[in-house]
Amino acid sequence: MTEALFLFASIAGVPIAMRASEVEAVVRLGEIVPVPLVQAHVRGLAALRSRVLTVIDMEARIFGKGGLDETASLAIVADIAAHSYGFLVDSVSDICLAPDGAQPVHGRMDPAWAPYVSGIVDYAGQSHLLVSLADFALPPGGDVLAA
Amino acid sequence: MDEILGEFIAETLETLETLSSEVVAWEADPADQSRLDAFFRFFHTVKGSCGFLNLPRFERLAHAAEDVLAAVRRGERSADPATVSAVLAVMDRIGALARALGGDETPPEDDDALLDALAESGGGADRAEPFPQPPMSAPTSGIEATAMQADTAGPAPDTIGERAPRTIRLPLTLIDKLMSGISDMVLARNDLARRMREHVIEPDLESSFERLSVNVAELRDLISKTRMQRVDRLYAALPRLIRDLTRDLNKKAALSLDGGEVEMDREMIEMVLDPLTHIVRNALDHGIESPAERRAAGKPETGALHVIARQSGNQIVIEVRDDGRGIDCAALVEKAIASGLLTATDAAQMGDTEKLNLIFRAGLSTATTVTSISGRGVGMDVVRANIEQIGGVIAIASKPGRGTTITMRVPLTLTIIPGLIVRCGQHVFAMPRNNVLELLHQTSAMVAMEEVGGARIAVIRGKRHAFMDLEEVLNLSRPKTAAGPRTLMVIRSPAGRPYVLGVQAVESNEELVIRPASPAVTAAGVFAGMTLPDNGRPMLLLDAAGLAHVAQLPLRDAGDRLHSIAPEAEEAAAPTMQALMVRERDGAHRLIPLAVVDRVDDIAAGQIAPCGTAAFMRIEERLVPVLNAEQPLEGRLKSLRLHAGGEQLCYLIADVIDIIDVPVEIDAALAGGRLAGLAMVGENQFEMLDPFALFAEAHAQDAIARAEEPIRCLIPDEDDAWMRNILAPLLVQAGHEVRFGQTAEPDAAHVILRSEAQDADPDADGPETDAIPIVTLRADAAPATAAPGTIYRYDRAQIFAAIAQAMRRVA
Repeated sequence: MTEALFLFASIAGVPIAMRASEVEAVVRLGEIVPVPLVQAHVRGLAALRSRVLTVIDMEARIFGKGGLDETASLAIVADIAAHSYGFLVDSVSDICLAPDGAQPVHGRMDPAWAPYVSGIVDYAGQSHLLVSLADFALPPGGDVLAA
Repeated sequence: MDEILGEFIAETLETLETLSSEVVAWEADPADQSRLDAFFRFFHTVKGSCGFLNLPRFERLAHAAEDVLAAVRRGERSADPATVSAVLAVMDRIGALARALGGDETPPEDDDALLDALAESGGGADRAEPFPQPPMSAPTSGIEATAMQADTAGPAPDTIGERAPRTIRLPLTLIDKLMSGISDMVLARNDLARRMREHVIEPDLESSFERLSVNVAELRDLISKTRMQRVDRLYAALPRLIRDLTRDLNKKAALSLDGGEVEMDREMIEMVLDPLTHIVRNALDHGIESPAERRAAGKPETGALHVIARQSGNQIVIEVRDDGRGIDCAALVEKAIASGLLTATDAAQMGDTEKLNLIFRAGLSTATTVTSISGRGVGMDVVRANIEQIGGVIAIASKPGRGTTITMRVPLTLTIIPGLIVRCGQHVFAMPRNNVLELLHQTSAMVAMEEVGGARIAVIRGKRHAFMDLEEVLNLSRPKTAAGPRTLMVIRSPAGRPYVLGVQAVESNEELVIRPASPAVTAAGVFAGMTLPDNGRPMLLLDAAGLAHVAQLPLRDAGDRLHSIAPEAEEAAAPTMQALMVRERDGAHRLIPLAVVDRVDDIAAGQIAPCGTAAFMRIEERLVPVLNAEQPLEGRLKSLRLHAGGEQLCYLIADVIDIIDVPVEIDAALAGGRLAGLAMVGENQFEMLDPFALFAEAHAQDAIARAEEPIRCLIPDEDDAWMRNILAPLLVQAGHEVRFGQTAEPDAAHVILRSEAQDADPDADGPETDAIPIVTLRADAAPATAAPGTIYRYDRAQIFAAIAQAMRRVA
């Protein structure tokens, strides 16, 4: 049943869903310390209690530019390959069961979104794009290969 | 609180019950180490818990007993019947107190008698023979935690009654989890500390936190130890490797392994295993000749291969030494030229060490044929890269026909490293201290900056180094408001020669718990990890090699020459040593070997006490002979503190000029006097001071002064307990002579010490003091209310200064 438990959020006004098993917590981050010489979507580092999170701006990652403004602090926390990340999102709506699970995508995706979306999850009568946080944590250059 | 207290009582009584059967056995055989450990643990636990529960009586008892047992364990005290009974009495008392806490009994009153018994018993006994150490357990691939070592762990009743140290085997993942758990705990503590600083905290809370802090720190040390493994593990595979290889190659070789007991981080052992295997393989394949060749060369048929590990500071040095044919430099250079790695002109300019270091470059091998073992030209470059990746250094030395030695230096552990915190505007980074050769201010006279054709060069003591600003490499804006001179860091770059990194400031020096940075961050190529310091702002650890790479500094493939900066390689080059150039008080410039200079002190003339023809300075309650004090001493002085084992002396100078490299062998040796000879430095020659002569002189002076002029202190009031019991021992310890009572002789003492009260009392018939200076001590710390000319009696420095000054007046 846990497979059917999803976290629903939104990036750039687009509703998304991710498997709740991937998500550790949703937090408001404190100060984000910028990191030089990294790609724009790597916002920097933030301390969460005694952990250090690498903060990824999901919107900037998807579109390669732009992204959330400086004050964005709502983040989904996840551990991926032994590193802790915080993924910045616009908003988080709910965690709940979607009995139908993930459905295949119908219709042509925006090419920016295409590499990240693996399906559609129906929640509250709305379609949410199913993404995997691990795809966002890949080192920069990963999307070059994907393209 | 009641719940915790109840738990404490239950636990204490339970442990006492378990121990009770051991009590008798211990009495019968007091030397039994495992029982001793059990008792020690018991007291330690009681002490720990009751500190937390605020039970001072328990704490006092447990603490005293623990001290005694610790002394017994160290072999400083024997477990004689008196000691045993005293310890047992304390145990009984703790039991009684615990029951009293539980409300079952009225607590016995006075503990002092017990404590006295503890302190006295065995006091006069002879020093006990140290207990035999438990046999070391055989090394295995797991980690063995021995019960003996875990003496600070909680009560472990299950180990009681066991004679041999019990070991358990733990999965490594558990140890790793423990380690990361404790790292988190340290960081959480730091975070808490930071938050507490932001509020007004009750002292109670603060002291609880202090205790927690200490415990966490101890725990971290202990857990770091569990991560350590003996180098034996690294060695385990080698004998088999040698056996198989010698068979395949038809060679004979004897392997000797040394230093297997050295411990290093498990992770580090894993990182070093491959490079070491590779080096050993190479040594057998290329280094050690066939038995026939060896016979022809007049060597024993069997080649010798030594692998030696030792700890040097916070590094582990692993040395692989063979007595084979050595590396053919000429062949190496030829190959390098043939493969286009360098030109014949380059080669002609290279020193032997540089030529040898060619072996670490990609695509080069001296093997004429490719064998299944080595010689494919992938090898030493990979080895070097692997060692450098973990912050190590590799160096090679070889003598044709005699053999090759490869030395690897790797850090003890990856997780906690000392780092320098550097600032660039708003950004703060850490730089591993191992990478920093030197720190200088840009304004220092030793530094000159040049810019030639866009290349920025820092010239430090005549040596040119590639230069870059950290902000420039990291694409950060240089803050315009930053005032003051920038700091230059001379960075040891594993890639080649050192380079100079300019930063706004170096803020501090901290032990950092390093954790790996995520791939998204390491992709930048200049960060080696991250850490969370006390202030709660995550910080990145800079990667020295990465910075040079990103800035495209020409460090390795420089157009003309290759420089090796491995320290061993430098030693192998022209033998030089570092010397300090100073301006003497007579104006002459002289050199002194840097190795004997402990530090340079700024001192006030008043700190030096002339004493006959000699002079002394008080340093940490000891009199240290001072040389060069003949000329009048005024104002601020500079002094070199020279150090030779237990001896020290102060050598007064006018100023320090520079640190330079000079040949170890001086050019013109002089016999006699303070000078060892002349050393050539560039165009000039300088006189080199002879530390031997200086110490000999100081020694003589010291002896003379002690024979003729001990500083005699007179304490007129011998009934003053403070004077007698507190001050007098301090003076004696500092080398003074102390007398009590009145005296009429004018030269009976150099200085008289007395209390303010005595001073004010007109009836106190002090000695005739016209000739003898008096130092008056007051009990009141506040200078406002003090009588003029008095010194607060706990101001140690002032007291000694006053005595020294009085001495000067007498002399």
